[in-house]
Amino acid sequence: MKKVIAREEWCLNCRLCEVYCRTAHSVSGDVVRAHLREDPTPVSRITVEGDNLDSVAVNCRHCDEPACVAACITGAMQKDPETGIVTCDESRCIGCMTCLAVCPYGCIKTGKAAVKCDLCQGTGEPACVKNCPNRALVYVEVGGAAK
Amino acid sequence: MRYTVPEFEVERNLQRCISCGACVRQCSYGVHYFDDDGKTVLADESKCVACHRCATICPTHAIKIKAFEMAYKTHFNWTPQAQQEILKQAETGGVLLSGMSNNKPYPIYWDKILLNASQVTNPSIDPLREPMEIRTFLGRKPKKLTFSADGSLATRLEPQVQLETPIMFSAMSFGSISINAQKSLAMAAKELGTLFNTGEGGLHPALRDFRDYAVVQVASGRFGVHKAYLEGSRFIEIKIGQGAKPGIGGHLPGEKVTVEVSNARMIPEGSDAISPAPHHDIYSIEDLRQLIWSLKEATQYKKPVAVKIAAVHNCSAIVSGVARAGADIIVMDGFRGGTGAAPTRIRDNVGIPIELALAAVDQRLRDESIRNTVSLVAAGSFRNSADVVKAIALGADAVYVASAPLIAMGCHMCQQCHTGKCNWGIATQRPELVKRLNPEIMSQRVVNLIGAWNHEIKEMLGGMGLNSLDSLRGNRLMLRGIGLNDRELEILGIAHAGQ
Amino acid sequence: MKRYAIVGASAAGLSCAKTLRALDADCKIDLFTDEAYLPYSRPIISYYLKNKVNAQQIYLQDAAFYEANDITVHLNEPVTEVREHALQTQRGKRYGFDKLLLATGSVPFVPPMENVGGQENVFTFLTMSEAERLKAYAEPDMHAVVLGAGLIGLKAAEGLRSCVKSVTVVELAGKVLPSILDDRAAPMVEAHLQANGIVTLLGDTVVRAEGKEKITSVTLKSGKTLPCDLLVVAVGVRPNTALAESCGADVNRGITVDHETMETTVPDVFAAGDCVRSLDILDGKEKIIALWPNAVREGKTAAYNMAGVPEKDTGSFAVNAIDFFGQRICTCGLINDDSAQVLVRADATQYKRLLVKDNHLVGFVLINCSARAGIYTELIRQKTDLTALSGDLLKEPGLMLYARDVRTEKLTGGVRI
Repeated sequence: MKKVIAREEWCLNCRLCEVYCRTAHSVSGDVVRAHLREDPTPVSRITVEGDNLDSVAVNCRHCDEPACVAACITGAMQKDPETGIVTCDESRCIGCMTCLAVCPYGCIKTGKAAVKCDLCQGTGEPACVKNCPNRALVYVEVGGAAK
Repeated sequence: MRYTVPEFEVERNLQRCISCGACVRQCSYGVHYFDDDGKTVLADESKCVACHRCATICPTHAIKIKAFEMAYKTHFNWTPQAQQEILKQAETGGVLLSGMSNNKPYPIYWDKILLNASQVTNPSIDPLREPMEIRTFLGRKPKKLTFSADGSLATRLEPQVQLETPIMFSAMSFGSISINAQKSLAMAAKELGTLFNTGEGGLHPALRDFRDYAVVQVASGRFGVHKAYLEGSRFIEIKIGQGAKPGIGGHLPGEKVTVEVSNARMIPEGSDAISPAPHHDIYSIEDLRQLIWSLKEATQYKKPVAVKIAAVHNCSAIVSGVARAGADIIVMDGFRGGTGAAPTRIRDNVGIPIELALAAVDQRLRDESIRNTVSLVAAGSFRNSADVVKAIALGADAVYVASAPLIAMGCHMCQQCHTGKCNWGIATQRPELVKRLNPEIMSQRVVNLIGAWNHEIKEMLGGMGLNSLDSLRGNRLMLRGIGLNDRELEILGIAHAGQ
Repeated sequence: MKRYAIVGASAAGLSCAKTLRALDADCKIDLFTDEAYLPYSRPIISYYLKNKVNAQQIYLQDAAFYEANDITVHLNEPVTEVREHALQTQRGKRYGFDKLLLATGSVPFVPPMENVGGQENVFTFLTMSEAERLKAYAEPDMHAVVLGAGLIGLKAAEGLRSCVKSVTVVELAGKVLPSILDDRAAPMVEAHLQANGIVTLLGDTVVRAEGKEKITSVTLKSGKTLPCDLLVVAVGVRPNTALAESCGADVNRGITVDHETMETTVPDVFAAGDCVRSLDILDGKEKIIALWPNAVREGKTAAYNMAGVPEKDTGSFAVNAIDFFGQRICTCGLINDDSAQVLVRADATQYKRLLVKDNHLVGFVLINCSARAGIYTELIRQKTDLTALSGDLLKEPGLMLYARDVRTEKLTGGVRI
């Protein structure tokens, strides 16, 4: 499957990936409205860690054997056997956040439900990759995961 | 109390600011900062240099940098800028420093020269349909060619450098610019079939694969010069002077001499890298001749040796001497050439325009029948392809560009190169800033730029009915002046428009 | 064609069935449950009680899933006996199998109390049917008493809070959530429960009930009497091992299994989930680890080994994430290990307690600061040497804790771009 790969050496700590992730997962799809008008403000599924000297963007690795899926008590968290994408069905999630407690990358956020990267399902290149000003994020075939 | 007022003003559109903090984290000058609420972004405008990094990266375009407008009682002599500079010196007691190039409103002759085009009497050429040659060779050319009985060339040719475009990248050392900026140029040079120039900074190990596209400099500090450095290059350039600061040496402060810089320059880490104003072994043309031939000897006469001088008042006579001293390529750098750091007064008041120097030198060498012995490379601010075409018609074999590719990489001409805080990752050695410049992206932008210029050059050549750049070299009939006086036209060797 | 039988249709049973189907497209899979529901989420029943989910949202998979995957679910069919590769159900049917998984879970433990047995308003809180019964019974003017301030008891109390007039939780131990909270965290949680209208009585327990057919009040060990219109007993659960014992498997509180394969002492009979004695990889002790992720993993491991694919279980340890009235609690590993070094960062609403032993993280308690807690869990699981990390462990954790090459490897999986 194709995954978002972070290239730490080029990460600027600008955190635009977070901005555009929130926008891509907003109701309006507009960067200003998503951040200033929408309530709740959309949650970024990608997190930039570190400081200007050393930073890296971390988002869901869409693991072959996802701990979050195994831990999900409602069946909301699933790995699509075709695409390999791990998604949380927010209508089924009850927000117990057991997934958050077991994700080794810390990639699950708390919103109304568990919130995580869905690789911008169906829209081609994810918003974080598309808008990274320094190609610190790339979207590449890594093989393996999807059947 | 500081007597100077801020130069710029940060206008933040609060209807658009989403408090993402990109500006806060991206500004190396510390202009933007969060209020205690962690949401409101404030600005210390006195630190702003108008590099526009914040405005460019702001995802909502909420930031505008404006001039800090102050009304002064009108005085045409004591302009606000003149007053500000005095205040600065009154505060610091220091020499005013600047980066980039002369920004005084001296005449720009390129904008007073017009190109010709074919109409009826000779056909223009469509470069999309017909071959158009812009390949360029640099090096000493023979006076005439002789052939053996079997038709093969009997004349022994001096080493030549083949370029796929008449545009090369000027010397910018590792130290003055970042390794990523230099690597971007190196990668672009490779893809374009042209050359980049190491400046007086030695060759960074990361650029070893690009040696075939490198011009290596030997300057007054002799930093980084060794056998492999010379042998790895396409040609060697002895730097006598620089257009932005003729008569002045260089000074890379110790804090910029990082481990990597120290390795490349072969000097102790943290020590000031001082390039003396003169080469202390060159006090005459004869001394220069010794260095030229030493370098040729060191490289088995396989590489052309170039000499770079700043365009100054007597440059015709100097260039004549340099040509006779054995240089294969002579580079002249006009007074609008760039720099990483120069005293402002020198930058803005010393040297002459490259247009006049080039025309005068080309004519002088022709008059002395030694024009073929050297290739002439013009430097000192080529802003677009038309400037390049005009330079070729005035007699240049090729040109050096630097500011233009730097602008392609993000430079906004804030002229703060000397501070080492370049927010675009160009003129800095700070790792957090250097990594902002990804050579994968930037080399492509530079390739795009020069590729576009190449297309435009071919268009202009075709319009003039020429199908090769060689047909334009020194062909001043293709040029006309506009708004120039007789003296200027005489020096440029061109007729006035309408003649 | 191989025949697999699975007794118990919750986390471990379903996980096993899914894995078996993935491994073998042709095998026959029979899933037996004594309940009337397709596999559903037991932890979700408190959300059902407070109307956060409806009766259709409790299922782990929709009915079409079982059809599509050819998994036969036998509802309302308790298994009464296992003998020689065949099982007998209460309806008198016999089913042969090649391999059997016992995923029988646990049953609520009701301690002896005077005049409680047989009363109609006594509930446990483990299954959907009990939740349905409780929901139907509860009325807005009722006084509820919950016996036990463990995870189940408090979840029942939270769910009941919106259904009845008052909820009193009685806990014998000196603190709420005694098994997962330390002495500093428990009062924070208790205060939050109280702020949300739950009355807590610690160090006390119900000894007697008043009323005929229906309890009307309860008397505590302290002598206190509480009005009681419904009583939820949630003092704990016991592994449901009856079937295992009947087929001769070794049982020692939980079913004894090979920790690598999940096979019981009876060949071809496997067991997984809450009914099993798991091996806690943190202290090397065998214990019942009645937690969802543990059951899912064990069910999966069992499936591999039932299908003859050697797959070693990676071992268990406790991870709990839960919230009460919006207060998030996340705990993991050894919480009350006295020999561990304790690192604490706390303010009025947040509390973080990390337990470090021999340069390894062995447990944590997080209250309202669980962001990226999985990174801590991973440090515990991998037994990462903390001296190889940099940065403040007490801050919000991140991959920046790891050395650069380590985190790059983790993030890229070795892909070089």
